[in-house]
Amino acid sequence: MKRHMKSTGRTQYILAYLLAALVMMYVSYSLPRWLPGDFVTAMYASSHVTLNAEQERDLRAYYTERPGFGRYLAGFFTLNWGYSYAFLTPISDLILGALPWTLLLMGGAHLLSMVFGFVAGVEAAWRRGGVIEKAGVGSMTILEGIPEIGTGIILLLLFALHLGWLPASGGETAYAAYSMGPWLLDLAAHLVLPLTTLFLAYFPGNFLLTRGSMVMVLKEQFLETARAKGLPPLRIRYAHAARNALLPMVTRFGLRIAFMVTGALVVETIYAYPGLGTLLFNAIAMRDLPLIQGIVLFSSLAVLFVNLGLEFIYGRIDPRVKHAS
Amino acid sequence: MHLNARRELTADPWFVTGAALALLVVLLMTAAPWLAVHDPHDMNFQPLSPPSSEHWLGVNDGGMDIFSELLLGIRNTVAFGLITGITALAIGVFIGLVCAWFGGATDNVLMRFSDVLLAVPSVMVLILTAAFFRPTPFALGLLLAAMAWPTTAKAIRAQALVIKQSLHVQAARQMGASGLYIIGRHMMPELFPLYLIGFAAKARMAMFMEASLSFLGLFDPSRKSLGMMINYALKYYYLDIWWNWIIPPIVCLTLLIMTVTFLAVSLEKVFDPRLKMT
Repeated sequence: MKRHMKSTGRTQYILAYLLAALVMMYVSYSLPRWLPGDFVTAMYASSHVTLNAEQERDLRAYYTERPGFGRYLAGFFTLNWGYSYAFLTPISDLILGALPWTLLLMGGAHLLSMVFGFVAGVEAAWRRGGVIEKAGVGSMTILEGIPEIGTGIILLLLFALHLGWLPASGGETAYAAYSMGPWLLDLAAHLVLPLTTLFLAYFPGNFLLTRGSMVMVLKEQFLETARAKGLPPLRIRYAHAARNALLPMVTRFGLRIAFMVTGALVVETIYAYPGLGTLLFNAIAMRDLPLIQGIVLFSSLAVLFVNLGLEFIYGRIDPRVKHAS
Repeated sequence: MHLNARRELTADPWFVTGAALALLVVLLMTAAPWLAVHDPHDMNFQPLSPPSSEHWLGVNDGGMDIFSELLLGIRNTVAFGLITGITALAIGVFIGLVCAWFGGATDNVLMRFSDVLLAVPSVMVLILTAAFFRPTPFALGLLLAAMAWPTTAKAIRAQALVIKQSLHVQAARQMGASGLYIIGRHMMPELFPLYLIGFAAKARMAMFMEASLSFLGLFDPSRKSLGMMINYALKYYYLDIWWNWIIPPIVCLTLLIMTVTFLAVSLEKVFDPRLKMT
């Protein structure tokens, strides 16, 4: 019974994600059309962008035409996302140009914080009650209370502006025309500070959660069996116990999306990292609405896509789900 | 259980620290009218002047007293957190109880709906709404709450189902108690710890969001907030203002987030029924 419920639960989640994606696209399609009055004049009156008559006409046409939701969807999938009047570039070019930077930064931060957080959490739970474990839990709880704005700006002030060890902004040195090796070093130097900030934001949660679930797993009887069989401790710890502590971390990833996306936005903005977050910040500052809309829709769908991927991974690493289907 | 919990809570250093910090914030907010001697919107002071006995943290680029701005910013962030936390909790408790009590199709529909909401990144919806409609912070808080309730609802539902099956509720039913009476008299009080956990988690998320969104410049620029202060101060990083202008809002924001984090961690540790069993 329980197994059965679990497997239908998973497929329902997948349906929920697809439905959520459709809802996001519909909201994005219809939002500008719900606005009362002459929306284009009202918005661009307070903007840094000045439109000439032709651009204004185009923009008004873009927002008042009602192509129908089906057309809109088709346009979305053919990368026809509209035109940015602040950057004078198609929105798809802007977003796809910023995407690799965001993937590098966020992917790196998540990968590192998950791997290190997981190992540290498992080891801490194994040494439960010891001084190191208590100090680890204490310091991680404190770190969990420091928002990304705080760590980001303090690291920026200290290492980039005061000590001058690392670059303060950007993703690479502009117009440097490096060869391969120095270019990679340059990339890494620009990546260190934002990556560290995000790592410090994600690590404590992964650590505390893994430790918590690992402590529970360690009380299970099958570990007594493993120990009685005389298996080496490292094997018990990782192959038998830690595997079961992995599941909550995957679940938590989906639940913390709201936090993580917000944090990444802020961190990219602080370091002017050329990813989607900085692009969105600039779009907000210039009130470039088509661009804001494009980034919001694109990143929402990306988040849903990641969540969907996690559902499949979850099925893989939880044998109960696999056997149930 | 509640009596024991009180003893456990007061013995937990995280709870004591969190409660002390919360008390400090409340004191600071109630004393704000006397502490902030200047109107934070008054722009008649010498811009960028260093701290003095008149202006404890100096004056910003617009000629406004930083210390007064800071106090008002704390108040705005806390207000946002409270509004969102309370609203999200109310919706979550209501829906969780409805799901647990009626079960069946109602339960199924509401839970699938909450799965959809869980999958939507709420910050993106907030950014879109803020950019297009320029709503008041209060309205944004309510919107955030309208997207943040599912986790609370799920926790409430799970625990309410357990209570619904317990002996004393069945006995009350047998004696002819109405559904409303059982929910009001038995289930709602027994779920109390979950309210605290849910509220702390939501308030934390909301304050974090408020700071981040105002840092990104999505709120009315004349509204004082910690995030916006940090953003403005950062433009003058090359002046020697980091210790009186950049760091104070960061410290205040960190203390606010820490307060709720500590309370949430401690409440969860003491009240989580899953941890209790083992």
